[in-house]
Amino acid sequence: MKKKINKSTVATLILLVVIAISPVVVQSNYIYSVINFMLLYVIATSGLDLLFGYSGQISLGHAGFYAIGAYGSALMSLHWNLHPLITMLIAAIIATIVGVVLAYPASKLKYHFLSLCTIGFGEIIYQLIVNSPGDITSGFTGLYGIPAVTLFGFKLSKNISIFYMLLIFAIVFMFVKQRIVHSKVGRAFIAIRDNTAAANGMGIDVTRYRVMAFGISAFYTAFAGALYAHFIRFISPETFTQEALSVPLLTMVLFGGLGSLWGPVIGSVVVTLIKELLQATGTYQMIIYSGFIVIVLLFMPRGIMSFISGIAEKVKMKKEAKADVKN
Amino acid sequence: MFLKLLIGALMIGSVYGLIGLGYSTIYRASGLMNFSQGDLFMLGAFVGVTFYRYMGLPFILSFILTIIVMFIVGILLERLVIRNVLKKSTGYFIVLATISLSIFFKNLAMLIWGSTRIEFPSIFNIGNVRVGGIQVQPEQLMVIIVAWICMIILHFFMNKTKFGTAMRSAAQDPLAAKACGIDVTLTTGVTWGIAAAVASVGGMLYGPVYGVSISIGATMGQRAFSSAVVGGYGNMYGAITGGLLIAIIETFVAGYISSDLKDFIAFAVLMLFLFVKPTGLFNERALQD
Amino acid sequence: MAAILEVKDLHCSYGPIHALKGVSFHVDEGEVVTLVGSNGAGKTTTLRSLSGLLDNAHVTGEVLFMGQPIQKMKANKIASLGLCQCLEGRHIFPQLSVEENLMIGAFQRNDTAGIQEDLQKMFKRFPRLEERRKQAGGTLSGGEQQMLAIARALMSKPKMLMMDEPSLGLAPIIVAEIFEIVKDINRDGIPVLLVEQNCNMALKVSHRGYVLETGEITLEGTSDFLANNEEVRKSYLGG
Repeated sequence: MKKKINKSTVATLILLVVIAISPVVVQSNYIYSVINFMLLYVIATSGLDLLFGYSGQISLGHAGFYAIGAYGSALMSLHWNLHPLITMLIAAIIATIVGVVLAYPASKLKYHFLSLCTIGFGEIIYQLIVNSPGDITSGFTGLYGIPAVTLFGFKLSKNISIFYMLLIFAIVFMFVKQRIVHSKVGRAFIAIRDNTAAANGMGIDVTRYRVMAFGISAFYTAFAGALYAHFIRFISPETFTQEALSVPLLTMVLFGGLGSLWGPVIGSVVVTLIKELLQATGTYQMIIYSGFIVIVLLFMPRGIMSFISGIAEKVKMKKEAKADVKN
Repeated sequence: MFLKLLIGALMIGSVYGLIGLGYSTIYRASGLMNFSQGDLFMLGAFVGVTFYRYMGLPFILSFILTIIVMFIVGILLERLVIRNVLKKSTGYFIVLATISLSIFFKNLAMLIWGSTRIEFPSIFNIGNVRVGGIQVQPEQLMVIIVAWICMIILHFFMNKTKFGTAMRSAAQDPLAAKACGIDVTLTTGVTWGIAAAVASVGGMLYGPVYGVSISIGATMGQRAFSSAVVGGYGNMYGAITGGLLIAIIETFVAGYISSDLKDFIAFAVLMLFLFVKPTGLFNERALQD
Repeated sequence: MAAILEVKDLHCSYGPIHALKGVSFHVDEGEVVTLVGSNGAGKTTTLRSLSGLLDNAHVTGEVLFMGQPIQKMKANKIASLGLCQCLEGRHIFPQLSVEENLMIGAFQRNDTAGIQEDLQKMFKRFPRLEERRKQAGGTLSGGEQQMLAIARALMSKPKMLMMDEPSLGLAPIIVAEIFEIVKDINRDGIPVLLVEQNCNMALKVSHRGYVLETGEITLEGTSDFLANNEEVRKSYLGG
């Protein structure tokens, strides 16, 4: 039996090949640093999308999970001398546990209150970093000298080599996300999001799946945070605030379009690019950026992709209307 | 020590209450959360200091002008952004829209007034006054007195005037209110205006004691929504009670145990209430239907 | 007699659903007119579109109230002209006191003395409401809430009253009382447009009626004619 090869698979493969060989062509360190950030956000927002886009639960505290991943992995690799890949995994598992513990009571809240609750969670984690017991996180000074990831004797400390690692992780995480979405679990998420009462009536354990979504989402975002720590190799609290991270992550998911595989990718790429370009505007950066979010919400609340396809549809309809007139 | 802490707690708690009132009235009227409430408080303080310090107007006049300006800002906020976002999507997006507005206001304020703290010139040209054996700044007493006068005026407005009753009715049942001839879009807009104006009163009172800077929006806003949750989100009186409660816990923990814990308290109390008693002290609904 | 309300070719759709497909009828001065129809026929949609209460629906057609076109007007403007509606399901303001509920009914009026006079009239007509004037609306029984809803509508001094299922979910003895009130209101010269599932009672108190089926008027006539019509008897009067 021959499997049908569909267009999007081909497109994906071509895209991947282009991305993978692009370092041969482009050699700018700066560009790779920007792309690496995009890849980190792809992982983090894919997780946030599983939570917000698929299971319908908002989070304004994902910076907290990102921080648990980053600080957890950094501290473990600094103090216990473990391999970064192991500490990243452990840190992400810790974040998952925290996410599950948070979600048990939190998943019962209406979305406004869930917003408040997750803001509270993010703030508490932030405060813990700033005023940690025994000052293990060294407060605002931050943690220096976080080890780079070494693989088969190669030290991944250059942006380009990190790029390959992040690319692989991003693909793996996206693949897993797709598998989750198309599994029984994913269908339960969607059912709960679309009609909680009906899902409940069909025998879906709403609380269980809501909690599960939180756990998985926390794992994704914390893993991205851990990768960030070993990529930049210096972390300090101001990266992990609501304004600097939780809100941008949510913006990326929203901008790319909720509940899709490529939405978080598009969102991460575009929003990171916009933020980079706005660097040049200096003090106006955040004003323009926040104004931009409001404009997105006002004019394309379903994300850029459906905005474009909406326009395409209108153009098509106009053409058809013209054709009708001619006939 | 005890009395000093108590006066401090009453003062800051009254300000939390004023900002929290805004969260609650908006939630009551339209089922939405306005995450830029703290920044409206901050803007109020900046507008106030501009009238009072830079334009040299008398304090009372600055106070009234600030209320008027911020009332208009609140109305515009609802009319230009909130209403239009709601037309196309759900309340989820209001969360993000108001957070973005909060970032916008904060950075706008930084652009206009700079990022350093601005001191409010003192309002009363007298020294400290003695209350029960301790020295208190007259501005501190003003916070408590004026905040409570404002709350009482608001209470009378909502309960004893025709328009206030109409606002309450529109919040309870917009369809029936429309059938009774009430312009519900107007009452909703006025609700946002009042929320902004009340927050700015808080700003005008807070400024003379602590000075004005862009960071006060976030910190006070977060304390205030915690207050609103503690009291029972949507309940005006709950927000005030919650504000006082959080301020008392916060101040006494900082005073007797450790000031490192101060920034934790509001969030710890918030989470505790959300998890254990999400309906707050006054039993408002917070769980999913 | 002159028509106080004239509806011509009223259409209403919610997205793809076409709820009203060209409804035309009229109510004359001094009349009680009943709209008969089963669930989902479009009775509530008709009344709400007349009052301008449908925000998300697309409504077209001509509606003349006392000769004035009102179809494009906002709800509060329509109410201020004196076309008032008692909503289905009573819609009492649960946290407002009985007296506040009544005062909200008079929201459009500014004659303080007249309002007070009418308030006393309502208390006289509905003594139960006076007993409970300080109580929250939500604490009243179903029948009392319906009385309050009617009294609230009357506080606006309506030129015409539309009542949507006033007897819904009430005990038989109270239902009879409600229809007595409808007669009283009409005796005071206020025309009433009545939507009822309880056709028997409704046709007894009304002068004329229309039968509404899936968004269209299929039959009209005097109440006696409708009450004796074979089809109507079978479908709406229980044989």
